Amino acid sequence: MKKYTIKKPVDALHVVHPQRFQIDYKNELNKAQYDAVASVNGPHLVIAGAGTGKTRTIVYRVAYLVELGVKPEHILLLTFTRKASQEMLRRASILLDYRCEKVSGGTFHSFANLVLRKYCNLIGYERNFTILDQGDAEDVMNLIRTRLKLDTRDRRFPRKETLYDLYSRSVNTVTSLSDLLNVDYPHYLEDLQDIQKVHSLYEEYKKSHHLMDYDDLLLNLIKLLQQHEPVRAELSSRYKYIMVDEYQDTNKLQSEMVNLLTYKHKNIMVVGDDSQAIYAFRGATIRNILEFPDQFKDCNIIKLEENYRSTQSILNVANEILKRALD
Amino acid sequence: MNTRHKYTKVLYTNKAEGNLPQLVIAENENLQSKFVVQKVLELREQGIPLEEIAVLFRSSFLSFDLEIELAKANISFRKYGGFKFIETAHVKDMIAYLRVLENPRDVVAWNRILLLIDGVGPRSAEKIIEDILHRRADTSISDFWKDFNRYPHSVTELFELLKSISTDKFPPAEKASRIITYYHPMMKKKFDDHTKRKKDLEMFEQIAERYKDVSAFLTDLALEPPNESIADVEAPGSDDEHLTLSTIHSAKGLEWHSVFLIYALDGRFPSLHSVNDMDELEEERRLMYVACTRAKENLFITYPINIYDRESGTILTKPSRFLEGLDDKLLEPWVIDEE
Repeated sequence: MKKYTIKKPVDALHVVHPQRFQIDYKNELNKAQYDAVASVNGPHLVIAGAGTGKTRTIVYRVAYLVELGVKPEHILLLTFTRKASQEMLRRASILLDYRCEKVSGGTFHSFANLVLRKYCNLIGYERNFTILDQGDAEDVMNLIRTRLKLDTRDRRFPRKETLYDLYSRSVNTVTSLSDLLNVDYPHYLEDLQDIQKVHSLYEEYKKSHHLMDYDDLLLNLIKLLQQHEPVRAELSSRYKYIMVDEYQDTNKLQSEMVNLLTYKHKNIMVVGDDSQAIYAFRGATIRNILEFPDQFKDCNIIKLEENYRSTQSILNVANEILKRALD
Repeated sequence: MNTRHKYTKVLYTNKAEGNLPQLVIAENENLQSKFVVQKVLELREQGIPLEEIAVLFRSSFLSFDLEIELAKANISFRKYGGFKFIETAHVKDMIAYLRVLENPRDVVAWNRILLLIDGVGPRSAEKIIEDILHRRADTSISDFWKDFNRYPHSVTELFELLKSISTDKFPPAEKASRIITYYHPMMKKKFDDHTKRKKDLEMFEQIAERYKDVSAFLTDLALEPPNESIADVEAPGSDDEHLTLSTIHSAKGLEWHSVFLIYALDGRFPSLHSVNDMDELEEERRLMYVACTRAKENLFITYPINIYDRESGTILTKPSRFLEGLDDKLLEPWVIDEE
């Protein structure tokens, strides 16, 4: 018998036909930008060279999704500063209309905070947990240092700022303390055990007082999503379209967050420029953007190469520098 | 699975071809600074506001010499991604030692360097200073440093040092070098990141080498009031024009009409220690790319030669390996000539 299949509806998309869009996307964007903007379902990687209109592309894509009929609250835009996402959503609102203001936007940390406020009791925190900023976290380190009597005159022991820096980077980069010491503070290698002790007491302190530092926000969100499938499912169906800016600057925890949040639909667009990955020392890993196509099969790669900033003479030098990079 | 190292891309534009970027070799660091100062003034004459000009560098300490030259030329600037040279605590300490040498009655400087000594608190510092002021009011500077013996050993040690270098026999750089040797253990105690700061002090010594006497050196350093920049940064909408000095990291995402990249010197950019690690070296290369792509119309890449590197004991003379061998038709080589 012959078989005729009814296609699964794709979330009530295409309610509005592209020809009736308010914005003339094809005309206002160059070819590559348009391709990026009009890429909807599935994983997409946008490699945006320097000065190629990356922000503009993100702004137009938000508008495009909204025009297509995606509910604004189903779109999540993650950026590195609050200002960046606010600015992009503001521009999208001016471009299209007020609906774009309802898009969820923010930093990885602010997003994690939002989710954890709702579900943190599942992983043993009270909802009124306090967030320690860097200064607070350093003060706690100092408290523990003093309690352990490691601050004596005749012994040189890392300061609170250093103790926190070491802690945070070892979490963020998933690197051992001894490796970090080796590179940055070899003169403290002999204090390894005591530093470890301070760090583990710091963790206990946070736990017993319902405190989270910045890194905990990411770690705990990951823990929550990994351990509680219903929450993961709920979030993944709420945020149907996820966009991440400056993907080359994300760390291991952040890419893990992206994996977990998109597990249901794989509707993910990451934007960035591997050639501008310069934050390894802060825990960012260029592997995230380079391995994105391996993580997300059938990923569509779009390159923005038309530059609106520099003269061709300057670009020629820039291109030449890149050409010599390892293939 | 093949390891991917990059996404190949070739940037193009519909803008005009424009001026060729320049690779400018300077015989020494100071000439590099003077080149930047003169070019900045020229660009300004041509109607490019200082806001549209930036000087970029790999590490914060590489702009110290330029900062002094800019202050001399009265060009106001803001620095991003690092402290201004003379605002850093350890450089302030160095200046305090030199100030005391120059004027033994400089109470503020005395206070600063006495408090650095283990066991000397504000009260004992005050006593010593009083003593210095009263007992020595009638002595000439050459006699000043004699007979300081009734203090604890740690204080005497300081006097001994100052005495030994007070003679004009030593040029400023030698004085700085001896002070650094004395100061180093204190710096180690005071700062966890003392290895980084040591680089700053080496730079300090290198700059001192250009001066014949301490007073001229101190005058140049004092020309720029240390607090100015902080107030500057806080004042919103302040309309005074200023040049931008920035590390490449802090310049990410920004653009200027004209960009100078200084110290594109192999051994400084990339730094010597990064050349042994492939990942680090590639990151340095990307930094070079980020630096170059900040420029809209003009790009001047400069590098000084004959820079002595203490760690390796070598003299650095080559342009950054990321630029070496680039076609002259892409990156025009220039030399600086002095009138």
